[in-house]
Amino acid sequence: MRVLIVEDERRLAENIARSLRESAGYAVDCCFDGEDGLHMAETNPYDLLVLDLMLPKIDGLTLLTRVRSRGAQYPVLVLTARDEKQSVVALLNAGADDYLCKPFDLGELMARSKALIRRGKGQSAAVLKIADIEISTADLTVRRQGKPIPLTAMEYRVLEYLAHRPGAVVSKTELLEHLYDFNWERFSNVIEVYISGLRRKLEHDDTKLIHTLRGQGYMLGVG
Amino acid sequence: MMATNSIARRLIVAVIVSQLLLAAGVFVVAVYFTHRQLVAAFNSALQGRAMSIAALVHYSEDEKPTLEFQQDLVPPPLEAAHQDLYKATDQTGRIIAQSAGWPTVLMSANSPYTDFDWHGEHYRALRLTHVPVLDREAATPASDFLTVEYASPILPVTRAVARLRLYIAGGCALLLCVTVPLAIWGLRRGLRPLEDLAANAALISTSNWELNPGSEAMSTEELAPLTKAMSSMLDGLRRAFTQQREFLANAAHELKTPVAILKSTLQSLLQRPRSSEEYRAGLEQALDDMARLEKLLHSMLRLARAEQWAAGSLQRDLAEIDLRSTCDTAVDFLSPLARERGVHIQVSSNGPIPVRADPEDLELVWTNLLENAVRFTPHHTSVLVRLHSDGDCGVVEIADAGPGIPADELPRIFERFHRGDTSRARDTGGYGLGLAISKAVVEAYGGSITPKSEPGVGTRMIVCIPKQS
Repeated sequence: MRVLIVEDERRLAENIARSLRESAGYAVDCCFDGEDGLHMAETNPYDLLVLDLMLPKIDGLTLLTRVRSRGAQYPVLVLTARDEKQSVVALLNAGADDYLCKPFDLGELMARSKALIRRGKGQSAAVLKIADIEISTADLTVRRQGKPIPLTAMEYRVLEYLAHRPGAVVSKTELLEHLYDFNWERFSNVIEVYISGLRRKLEHDDTKLIHTLRGQGYMLGVG
Repeated sequence: MMATNSIARRLIVAVIVSQLLLAAGVFVVAVYFTHRQLVAAFNSALQGRAMSIAALVHYSEDEKPTLEFQQDLVPPPLEAAHQDLYKATDQTGRIIAQSAGWPTVLMSANSPYTDFDWHGEHYRALRLTHVPVLDREAATPASDFLTVEYASPILPVTRAVARLRLYIAGGCALLLCVTVPLAIWGLRRGLRPLEDLAANAALISTSNWELNPGSEAMSTEELAPLTKAMSSMLDGLRRAFTQQREFLANAAHELKTPVAILKSTLQSLLQRPRSSEEYRAGLEQALDDMARLEKLLHSMLRLARAEQWAAGSLQRDLAEIDLRSTCDTAVDFLSPLARERGVHIQVSSNGPIPVRADPEDLELVWTNLLENAVRFTPHHTSVLVRLHSDGDCGVVEIADAGPGIPADELPRIFERFHRGDTSRARDTGGYGLGLAISKAVVEAYGGSITPKSEPGVGTRMIVCIPKQS
């Protein structure tokens, strides 16, 4: 998953980014003003946008309206120092999916981010199930019939992304774009390594979970 | 239980009591004088009758004339239903005429009139003495004198007085029936502006500061000063209250971001086990965040004190200080930053400029302004601080050689949270409050800050502090 944070308090943005990387395993990009934020939001495919309301150059509400008017579908979590009803209503009406008032709890921000991403992918349960495998997005663990399967951080990220879109064909580029921050092109040849690692750890001889569609990408599903 | 004294009730009672007293007075005076008049009239009627009786005494036609009484010409009694009494005697005491049933009455010795009861009636008797017998030749002196007594029931007088009493009492009662409600209505009507004012004053609360006394109370001569005083007092209270509330709201709001930063720093540190180096770095970050928070708190408290002092709700004994020394303190404070950026701060003044102020307030202002100047001026240039006197003001000019502020942005730089651009926001660490607070502090002293900027040349901040606040 890849998240964009637009927050002009550099320290706060970095703390949130660190948290999202460490405890959710997301790829995170940070922008510190509205102009950069808008540019990044329009040029990259994100799974979540964390947006501060008071920003230099272009304010959060304007950015949000612009991004939504150009058809961006990803969920948006707004950070605000105001908690007046009016501004909250205006935010939600402009296309925000959720909001947090400063000072917020980082744990809550993590949980809300995960929930928003789930919803954005059409999932509602925090535990994703594929055949007899359970993926717990809360603590980033994978189990088969209650027994934990040890995965590397990147293997987990690939699996989590695929599991959010079961039955859909996910291209290698899409995986790269969503699993890495803006430097993703450097990692273009490693996806195959993670896929084969996952196959080795998850699949038996008789069940195939990750299917390769030549020239198109990968698909997670039974059969 | 609240006090139950009512102005309206008391006034109404006073009006009713005074009307009753007036009615009683009218009653007493009218009855007294009428009674006197009626008695006088009755007395003269008695006198007339007595004279008539005397006139009916004449000499007989005999050779030796004796006094006789012409009984058949006695006039009818004064009161038709009752008998009048009379008696006439000559100087020897011989009774010449006497009505039937003359009682033996002790006539008063020192008054011609005597009151007595006879056959259950009040009678009044008149005694006339030395009445000469009229039946004689003209110019002949009288030889015989009569004593005439005449009595008649005083009934007409008492009856008239009783009737009069009834009429006057009835009239008064009737009048009171009209005037009392009229007075009550008039009083209530007259007191309505006061009641309206009181009712309106009762509606005042911390959410409703509007005194709406209505045109009647406003145009009432006695109430006008009160409504005016109340309105101006309310206005002052509302301003003080709003200021306090705004400050509290702003303070809470402005603390949110730094607290959010500090909180996120500590929480992300605790998110998973870390090496001692990571913890150390995290704690240093947290301390750094704390320092920014502390600086903000300090500024806000300075601002609150200055605003309270300006609003008159805080007493401060301000000593006379030299403007130059406060500038020097601020320059010292910023010298590490200036060194780091290779900026030289140059202070110039001719002679001390004494002002009455709290040095810490002014140091805060200079620090904020100088910090901006030092950050925006290019490396290896100078920031100039010039002090001089201008009439009643001490003037401090802080000039940098920075990129300047666009003219359209100039009026907005003192707004809370205003940030010229990204870099400024992050570097100053001031949350966009420094200039807003500086302006408020300077204005609390009755001074002013004027920004002058030329893009590409630099920015000058001209601060005037009145010498006597």
